[in-house]
Amino acid sequence: MVAAVLLAAFLATGIVASHGSIMRRVIALELGGVLTTLALLLLAEGFDRDVYFDLAVVLAAMSFASSLVFVRFLERWL
Amino acid sequence: MTPQQVVIDVLLGLAAVVAVGSVVGLIAARDDLDRLHYLAPVSVVSPVLVAAAVVAREAFDSRAIKALLVAAAFVVLNPVLSQATARAQRVRERGDWRPTPDERK
Repeated sequence: MVAAVLLAAFLATGIVASHGSIMRRVIALELGGVLTTLALLLLAEGFDRDVYFDLAVVLAAMSFASSLVFVRFLERWL
Repeated sequence: MTPQQVVIDVLLGLAAVVAVGSVVGLIAARDDLDRLHYLAPVSVVSPVLVAAAVVAREAFDSRAIKALLVAAAFVVLNPVLSQATARAQRVRERGDWRPTPDERK
């Protein structure tokens, strides 16, 4: 249930990320990464799958790294 | 419904409310720097509440440790990301992140 709410919120961030200024899109992308990670955590617990927890841990690190790369590109080149 | 289940439901409900509130703030905020503020609650409060719910359900097994690891990662890394995003926004607007002489006064 809560995972479904988070995924619905993720869809809203997708809509925000699809139009508007480029910084607005990046911020929506950052928020979407957090929501996806939390939804994965809850789905892993709900479906009783250990391996999905590893996916959430990796996604937490990778969403940070990818957002940082986007931000550096926006600062310097785009 | 056991007291443990009540605690888990309350923690997850709060996490969902914080996440939805942040998304509403993201949509309703006036400008990009205001929008950036709404990244903090969902990155700091919600992961901690979700990790606490997993700990309440599982005790300290490998799943709970991984959930706590995710929460700790967000708590530590989100300020770095927010600062980098705000800096990029300022560089795009003004060409430099350092304060101007007028701003120093």
